[in-house]
Amino acid sequence: MRSTEEFVKNLKEVPRHLGESMLRTGRLPQTDRERSQSTFHNLFLHTQSVRVHRHSLRFAYTFGLGLILVASFVVLTITGILLMVYYKPSTELAYQSVKDLHFVVPAGRFIRNIHRWAAHLMVAAVFLHMARVFFTGSYKRPREFNWLIGLTLLVVTLGLSFTGYLLPWDQLAYWAITIGSNIASSPREVTDALNITRWFDVGGFQKQLLLGANFVGEEALIRFYVLHVAILPLVIAAFMGVHMWRVRKDGGLSRDESAEPLPARVEGRDVHVFQPTKTYGLMAVIRGRTAVVNRAPEGTVSSWPHLLWAEIAAFTFTIAVTLVLGYFFDAPLKEVANPAIPENPAKAPWYFLGLQELVSYSAFMGGVGIPTIVLIGLGLIPYLDRDPAAVGVWFGGREGRRTFWLSAVFGLASVIALLAFTVNFGWLRAWFPTIPQIVIIAFNPGTVLVAVYMAWSLWTLRRSGSIRQSAIALFTCFLAGFIVLTAMGSIFRGPNWHFYWWPSQWPVH
Amino acid sequence: MAQPASDPSKAYKWVALVCSLVCLVFLAAAAIRENVTADWRRYQQAYREILKAKAADTASRRAAEAFRVEIRQVTVVSTKTVDRCVTCHTGIDDPRMADQPNPYKTHPKGLLKIHPTEKFGCTVCHQGQGAALTFEEAKGEDYFWDYPLIPAALTQATCNQCHDPRRLPAEAAGKLARGIKLYEEKGCAGCHKLGGKGGPQGPALDNVGLKTKHQFVRTALQGSQTTWSWLTEHFRNPGGIITGSLMPVPAVTRAENEALTIYMLSLRQQPIPSEYQAPDKIEEQYARLHPPEPDGARLYRQYCAACHDTALSTRWDKLFQRFVPAIRNPAFLRTEDDECLITNIREGRPGTRMPAWGAKAGGLGEPELQAIVSYLRQGAPAAALPPAPPRGSAERGRRLFYQECAGCHGPDGKGLVAPALNNPVFQSAATDAFIAQTIRLGRENTPMPAFARAGFEESDIGDLLAFIRTWAPAVVTRRQP
Repeated sequence: MRSTEEFVKNLKEVPRHLGESMLRTGRLPQTDRERSQSTFHNLFLHTQSVRVHRHSLRFAYTFGLGLILVASFVVLTITGILLMVYYKPSTELAYQSVKDLHFVVPAGRFIRNIHRWAAHLMVAAVFLHMARVFFTGSYKRPREFNWLIGLTLLVVTLGLSFTGYLLPWDQLAYWAITIGSNIASSPREVTDALNITRWFDVGGFQKQLLLGANFVGEEALIRFYVLHVAILPLVIAAFMGVHMWRVRKDGGLSRDESAEPLPARVEGRDVHVFQPTKTYGLMAVIRGRTAVVNRAPEGTVSSWPHLLWAEIAAFTFTIAVTLVLGYFFDAPLKEVANPAIPENPAKAPWYFLGLQELVSYSAFMGGVGIPTIVLIGLGLIPYLDRDPAAVGVWFGGREGRRTFWLSAVFGLASVIALLAFTVNFGWLRAWFPTIPQIVIIAFNPGTVLVAVYMAWSLWTLRRSGSIRQSAIALFTCFLAGFIVLTAMGSIFRGPNWHFYWWPSQWPVH
Repeated sequence: MAQPASDPSKAYKWVALVCSLVCLVFLAAAAIRENVTADWRRYQQAYREILKAKAADTASRRAAEAFRVEIRQVTVVSTKTVDRCVTCHTGIDDPRMADQPNPYKTHPKGLLKIHPTEKFGCTVCHQGQGAALTFEEAKGEDYFWDYPLIPAALTQATCNQCHDPRRLPAEAAGKLARGIKLYEEKGCAGCHKLGGKGGPQGPALDNVGLKTKHQFVRTALQGSQTTWSWLTEHFRNPGGIITGSLMPVPAVTRAENEALTIYMLSLRQQPIPSEYQAPDKIEEQYARLHPPEPDGARLYRQYCAACHDTALSTRWDKLFQRFVPAIRNPAFLRTEDDECLITNIREGRPGTRMPAWGAKAGGLGEPELQAIVSYLRQGAPAAALPPAPPRGSAERGRRLFYQECAGCHGPDGKGLVAPALNNPVFQSAATDAFIAQTIRLGRENTPMPAFARAGFEESDIGDLLAFIRTWAPAVVTRRQP
């Protein structure tokens, strides 16, 4: 009889015990100690530190871009897995399977739209995130290496988006990837000019490696599929892990160490002087700014729930944006891929259109030369600009702000002037039809622009005597150039890559 | 120093709240859009009411009650077709729905009795995007779809995938059959190849029906951006659609224009499973492999008349900017023997608009060429030609040529408005006797004058012959009479 009562009692208490056993502390945390435990006793939360600086939670400092990137990656993974259930990676079936997703799979169209918009959001956010980190000087010691990991993440993000572009197997996909893979074969322009392609065909090798054939077909599709759904997601997840680990190990988000200390939040109250009530054991001897000795951990709040709320806000924001865009705007799906009917203009995905604009001057410089210069330049920034001053301050202060605005105006003006000149008067080939190609490879609007920007940066270096100012000048100029060239390629280029003020002016055929 | 609490994450809580609400609203909206307000659901609900209203007995009343609102599709394995048109066109094969409006209406003309939907689907005849579930997307015009829904007036175009339209009842495929006949009568094959037979001036037409709108120059297209509207406007005025087109404006009525458009749309070399081919289609293929005796008059009309017209007198061609020779003119025929005629037709006249019609070029076999020659020959038998004078001095001939002949035949013999004399086929096919006789007597009903009457001596003709023969290709076995 007693055992029956006990059974009924246990049955009644199942919900409560389930809740208690699920959280290791047994209840929602009430004290700071329990808040700390909530963080480090949880597999997912323990990757974060138990206390976070108030400065790191300031929206105007980060705009939540890093969190938005993680959130869009999660959205992409979930919607991507759902799409994988229906998608068939074969040239015969791919297009029809996307059509079926669009028309009859429950919520299929919505899921594909969300996937598409989350991908655009992620690519846009990765550029903005990089700009944020640069302009707040957050790449400086000890965060130099994390800047390099961030660059890798930028490249892998673009790779993920690019490989996904082919999968619907429609005209848009087919011709964008044809253009993209031709960019991969652009070193041929140099080897052809030097007449050594027969022995040393890097371009052809790169294109073959990408497509598995000389043209975009079944081999390319399966290759892009494997890269898109398996290899690159694993790579990006691993690098994201390392990136966030290093953020924490390098001392959390960068902040202005010289700023007025903020109150810490202890047991629900803001306190300015932290009274240690715990004894510490020696765990390790480390060097650097993170282990605080003889100083109260001012300005920190417990991660649970404050950081958690910021994260929830970024996630719900990302999901809301992709849901709204996905509700109103369908992901494009053109006619089935047809190698016999070239799209005119055939355009790469939007984030490569700046490069495509440069490729229209010189395939090698636009496709390989200038991107390599830019990536190497970006990678070197933290090793060349080692002045630790003004980390964590937007543009590093008033002078930097001035350099930024000057460089933005200069960068925009020079790229627009150069494009206007090229559109109106053409370039060397138009004036000297027999000029050797190698001259155009070396001297074209793209290389001229790079040279002008570098000259501006050197001039800033001499004027201000500060590497930081010179770096701001160069980065701002390249950002302006990237934006204008991308707009040029996406909006103002029509059939045969001719200039048009608006797509409605394009000839019908 | 403890201060009253200010919540550092207050703003984030608000953001999370607002964004979560937005998410919920849009998820709900998407669910409603897909599960409640979709067009096809409304159509099927209305159809269920029609079924109930029409139910006469208990069984059909029960069937109406049991009608489920769901996506319906026809899957035809052998043609790799999945058509969801029946999701909205629910009554398409129900004869009781003949009095209903679209989309519930029965298929007209009882065609589904002989073409059951389960075996044929819909898009094999109508084109359009069968996978779609809204009318705009199914129609596929102004949408990214290669083969939009063909307008009802032109649907006959797809009959000849499985049928020989000439053997179908006139009300079924009469327009298409008329188009085929017009193509022959108007001599379209004079410039266009079809099945390997025809002239090279215009594009081959074998797969016009499979072309997409992107393969047509649509800069000047006025009507809808479809291949049929392009074809119709093109037949109305070829030069208006393609600048500099050499195609003459076909003299066709509005109905004939439609028939030609339908015929063009029907041209598609797309394998259809053999079990779909009607007996008349198989007979058509048999007839193609076992052609009847060639009919010269018919062949002439198909392949020659577009340029040569009746060929009884020389024709000035506005688009070619030159005279087209009168090849049925007795004066001409008397000077040329059959072998000369057939060589000219087989090899053509390189450098002029006259193409080669032999098996390797225009696709006509020897019996067909022979039939054309016999047809031409009806005009007059070849007469025995008086012998040519011996060839004289090329230098004197050159001067004479520049003075008398170059105005029409061109100083270099390339031919201005008159035939070219320097081209190799002419040089090998024409005998001295033929050239001499033509110079002597001219050509009736053509601008070529009789030079004997203008005071030419035999020796002058000999000099001219010597000069004209300087254009003969180096290695040519010339036939001498």
